Amino acid sequence: MQLATPVLDIFSVFGRFAMFTGQVIIRIFSRPIFTQATLNHLAITCQRCVGPVIAVNLPFGSVLSLQGLQIFEMFGAQRLLSSLVSVAILREIAPVMASVIVAAQGGSSCAAELGAMRIKEELDATEIMAVDSLRLHVVPRVVALTIACPLLYIVGALAALIGSYLTAIFVEGEASGVFLYNLWTLTEHRDLWAGILKTSVFGGVIGLIASYQGFRATGGAAGVGRAVNETVVYSVLVFITLNYFLTSALYGAP
Amino acid sequence: MMAKSDNTVTRSVQTFGDYAYFIADLFTATLRHGVSWRSVIEEAHKIGIRSLPILLIINLFVGSNLTILGFHAFTPLGGQRLVGLFVALAGVRELAPIIAASMVAAKAGTQMASQIAVMRIQEQIDALEVMAVNPHAHLIAPRMLGILLVMPALTLIAIFATVFSGYVVSVYQLGLNGTVYLEFAADGITAMDFVYCVVKAWVFGIIICTLSCWFGFNCKSGPEGVGLATNRAVVSSAVVCVVVNYFISEVLYGSL
Repeated sequence: MQLATPVLDIFSVFGRFAMFTGQVIIRIFSRPIFTQATLNHLAITCQRCVGPVIAVNLPFGSVLSLQGLQIFEMFGAQRLLSSLVSVAILREIAPVMASVIVAAQGGSSCAAELGAMRIKEELDATEIMAVDSLRLHVVPRVVALTIACPLLYIVGALAALIGSYLTAIFVEGEASGVFLYNLWTLTEHRDLWAGILKTSVFGGVIGLIASYQGFRATGGAAGVGRAVNETVVYSVLVFITLNYFLTSALYGAP
Repeated sequence: MMAKSDNTVTRSVQTFGDYAYFIADLFTATLRHGVSWRSVIEEAHKIGIRSLPILLIINLFVGSNLTILGFHAFTPLGGQRLVGLFVALAGVRELAPIIAASMVAAKAGTQMASQIAVMRIQEQIDALEVMAVNPHAHLIAPRMLGILLVMPALTLIAIFATVFSGYVVSVYQLGLNGTVYLEFAADGITAMDFVYCVVKAWVFGIIICTLSCWFGFNCKSGPEGVGLATNRAVVSSAVVCVVVNYFISEVLYGSL
């Protein structure tokens, strides 16, 4: 490329990523589909992420009810705690925290695996054997992350609710019956569906960015480290930005 | 280092012991060998500048989402004025420090882990030891002091980004009164909240730096080793930061 100015660089990165995305999406919806590989990746991703997702969401739910009680004690309205905590968890906290962990654990290990395959020329070897490496290695990972992210969101939301319940009842000494009675007063069915929709979009974005970075890794072991780093940073950046627009579209109208 | 045992319990105790030994060795080596202040400033500059853009963008969007969430949560109760208070309390006390820490872990922590892992597999760390340079004092101590210098500043910037984007969204998207928002936000925050945030920032900085460098130091050979070390560094620092955050909040704000 002759005109390698920073602006052109940015556009060419967007263009390459868009072409990569298009190629992956075409392969997702056409035969042959490697169902077994997809299921294997789904199982591995869920297995790797479920521990960290619970470990992050449980304390987050606890902190939510800890700080929520501080606010409601000002107005003497502690009974409202559980209804607001459940809304916050289902709409924002659980989708974002579950996706952060999926990006940090699932996305980065996907980038590391693909990057190591690229460096060790395994991807070139599959291409030489006339096997489509995008179809064999990338599509199962992207599909697995797209399915795993909503599943982990539900697990994370449950963990966060349990964490907030435990803190409110056993640490702060609120009444258990009041907490459970008010739990679902402000939530709607669409909160859960919106969370599932959002997290599956985030999962797809994470999978695409991770496999793009891994696929294009260059420069030995340091290149793999760089790919992993950029995967985590860019996927968090993109899905937090998307989260704002999705939230605005779903709930934003005043 | 001892050979790893097969038993899971023994192995995790051994890992924890290795980590504790690593931290102890880091402190004694730093005290004995000293640190070059020039490299501390360099590392602080690198960590701060690298993490600043992503930290700003993420916290802007976290603040705006928090505002939309607060608006919808308080509307059935007729308390739309409380949005400012909600954003200030939730953003300043909890979300801004923890989101800032996650972003520093994702950006600077992964970079530390992969740099040190590459040095390990290219045997540069062994070369340092051969030349009688202590790798802990030479490689990790500047990063540690650098992250301790910049973390409080990054956390304060994150707080202002959160409250600012909450203001913009509540005035221009949701049509609330800006003065009321700012009054309630100012009511929610006390000066002690900023002190607590700095304390949290230092604790998170120590966690991120030691975990990332430790995973980098214990990297297995080959490109997969570097990828795995980087991956583990970011996941474990995020998890440990969130768990520790709960206990700090419980001590500082809770009624225990």
